[in-house]
Amino acid sequence: MNETFSKLVKELQAIVGERNATDDRAICTSYSRDQHWHFVPAKNPACVVRPGTKEEVRSVLMLANTHKIPVIPYSTGINVRGLTIPVHDGSILLDLSRMNRILEINPEMKTATVEPGVTFGMLLEQTRKHKLRPAFPDAPLTVSVLANYYLRGIYQTSATDGHDHTISYEMILPNGETLKTGSRALSEMPYFRYGVGPDFAGMFGAHPGTCGVVTELTAKLYRLYDNRKEYFIGFDDVGTPTEFIYNLMHDELAASIRLVDNQSWLEGIFGTFDYAYEKLPKFVVCVLVEGVDGIFDAKDTLVRKYMNESGGQVLELPAEFARTFEDECLGGAEKSCMVFGLPGKGNYHCIGLYGPLTLAAKYYEVHEKTALEVGIPKDHIHFYIDPIYSFHGQLCYFELDVFYDGSDAGFGEKLRNYNEKQFHRLLDLGIYGWFRPYAGIIEPTAERIGYLAEVWKKFLHVLDPNEIMNRGKLF
Amino acid sequence: MEQEREEEILSAIHHCVKCKLCSIANFHPNAEWLPLCPSGQYYGYQAFYAPGKMEIFRAILEGEITEPSEGLLNSVYACTVCGACYEKCKQITNVELGAPELFEEMRHELASKGWSLDVHKSIAEKIKETKNAYGERYEYKVKEGATDKNADVLYYIGCTARYRVPEIADAMLGIFDKLGLKYQVMDEEWCCGSVLFRTGQVEAAEKLIEHNVEEIRKSGAKTVVFTCPGCMKTFEKDYPDMGVELVHSTQFLTRLGNMNLKKEDLKAAYHDPCHLGRDLGIYEEPRAVLNEVADIKAMKREKEQAWCCGSGGGVKSAFDDFALWSATERLKEAKEAGAEALVSACPFCKRNLKEAAENEELEVYDVVELVNRCLEG
Repeated sequence: MNETFSKLVKELQAIVGERNATDDRAICTSYSRDQHWHFVPAKNPACVVRPGTKEEVRSVLMLANTHKIPVIPYSTGINVRGLTIPVHDGSILLDLSRMNRILEINPEMKTATVEPGVTFGMLLEQTRKHKLRPAFPDAPLTVSVLANYYLRGIYQTSATDGHDHTISYEMILPNGETLKTGSRALSEMPYFRYGVGPDFAGMFGAHPGTCGVVTELTAKLYRLYDNRKEYFIGFDDVGTPTEFIYNLMHDELAASIRLVDNQSWLEGIFGTFDYAYEKLPKFVVCVLVEGVDGIFDAKDTLVRKYMNESGGQVLELPAEFARTFEDECLGGAEKSCMVFGLPGKGNYHCIGLYGPLTLAAKYYEVHEKTALEVGIPKDHIHFYIDPIYSFHGQLCYFELDVFYDGSDAGFGEKLRNYNEKQFHRLLDLGIYGWFRPYAGIIEPTAERIGYLAEVWKKFLHVLDPNEIMNRGKLF
Repeated sequence: MEQEREEEILSAIHHCVKCKLCSIANFHPNAEWLPLCPSGQYYGYQAFYAPGKMEIFRAILEGEITEPSEGLLNSVYACTVCGACYEKCKQITNVELGAPELFEEMRHELASKGWSLDVHKSIAEKIKETKNAYGERYEYKVKEGATDKNADVLYYIGCTARYRVPEIADAMLGIFDKLGLKYQVMDEEWCCGSVLFRTGQVEAAEKLIEHNVEEIRKSGAKTVVFTCPGCMKTFEKDYPDMGVELVHSTQFLTRLGNMNLKKEDLKAAYHDPCHLGRDLGIYEEPRAVLNEVADIKAMKREKEQAWCCGSGGGVKSAFDDFALWSATERLKEAKEAGAEALVSACPFCKRNLKEAAENEELEVYDVVELVNRCLEG
């Protein structure tokens, strides 16, 4: 490490305390790689800084901005897309996990305000006291609430929660200025997204730490109901159940609807490897109904009617599977990442995208076709669909999955080939959008969005003229 | 390291997806956020959690880390190797190698490069000179005439019960006497080598094993009783099969059946020692024994998901502040459970918990102490 950088580490230590900033090689190495390492190679940050307050965040950013040093915001460190792996030498990894306060739970407003280090588990532990819950991603409940909502405020484990769980947030820019979105900009009431002018929460969101550092965020909470019922219906293909899913979504009947294949996510949803999943139909639609007494009964009656007309096989499964399914969808995923441990296929790769239910069979077809073309064996190809309320545009989240052995470099090469082909094919087929800005996804996408790409770049330049914020992750 | 083993380790490391569920106890069905990794919780950097440590091990094996920096030594050795992370991980993955096994192997790799902590090297030196881990030059004395050279049962006392918490050894011997059981101890008991294995100094344990095996064979004992789970684990996993039965004190006592114990009016929480629980799978016998002498108050983190007391893996000697912080966290949990006493079944746990409880209104015992107290003398 050169002398200038050593001096910088001392300055950082002066801001956050000696214990909370280091350029120790081993410590930095522990931040060098995530699960996406076949696509984003390991790279050490030059130092790691762990601020404890927003004022410390501000001071670190201003110092980095002065010296034009790249800064990579990192919340709780459960990242599967390489978004916090440095691109450039000499980067500061800003580990925000010390900032883990739940600043407010407001049961009357049905909101929670959190710092970046608050996980879904931490938040649910508190909100359930008020019979409320956050909307959960299909990620371990150790992930950051703030980072997940900010990165893309759309989730799917509970269809009924819809999208855009973010209400407002506060972001510190590289120049030290604070931006507040929505009603937060006007008052002490951060409870409304569209406060003044454009939807800034939307404009600043979905950038992987490339605008500034979000230090607190207010999100929606949702009701926890006592009445719940689960159903599992088997199908042999992706196309047949779409009418059933359409009916449930059109009539707004189910809290959670998930079409999964029987060899991957189903094992996580049921929380055990120990079951003869191969004996089930290839695809299983998992349905969870909830609500207050009378409404619940009416919904349940209709769900059963549609289920019996669906052409699928209603499955009788062990009772504990239903409980795990409830927990995974409405209580935070603790077993879903079992998929990461599928025997002989211990690693997980996916392309997540939004599109209409009408294209479900086509997405599966192109997934299978491309995977087979690049040499991925058929039994490694997996798929799931989660429809989302409100169902305008028949909005669904689709996940094109491949489970594989991450220690097999040859398989990594196949996956890179798969991605390269598949991004283009999906764009040709038609999608609403990508779930995340995966490595390699921005270039083929940007060339199709015309002048919007230029505006996007200029927008980032206004906020971060020295390009210090997670440089290289978008353009 | 042999190439095949290196590939096996790297493969296991590549399968860790860094979900960090290993850092918390089971969340469902009670929806409680309960940290499980003392090291990560105390130090905070990713390097101190299992996924970060694995990444460091990868970098060492792949030649990216070539110097023993302070951060390297701290992140590798400020870990009690308690195994809580693996207990959680194996529920949800098929990861082929357990984290404690990997981390001990990482320490062995570091030690082979000479990258051990001075304090751990010093323990190895003390053992070499005095045959005990504390460098003590006096002998723990067993009451003359109490032992029987022909007894089938041999009590292996262990360094910590001999030199730091002798009340445990005294209590175990008291139990033998009060129950009129014949027993013997080793003429020359040497350290079992546990601390050497835990700190990567594996080769230094060879002579100890040789000596202890020889002594036990000579003794003719059929059963070796341990109050120290660390010693017992080392005998189980690292010693050759001596054709004798190895049992923990709580297993031994459970087998005795009715001991006419006078139950005390004491609310006690039971702390699962990592070596006894996670390593040896002994969870029920200590509870069965404790239940005979006190009212058990359950803590939130128990059995496979017990919070470590903070002293194992060479941490107590090298990172005492961290060790005491971990113990204090456990004391808080015992108090929250409504306990008046925290009871363990390991001299190492007792020592660290007792030290942390110095200014607390909470008693700390080993289960054999309570049994000895409740036995009609």
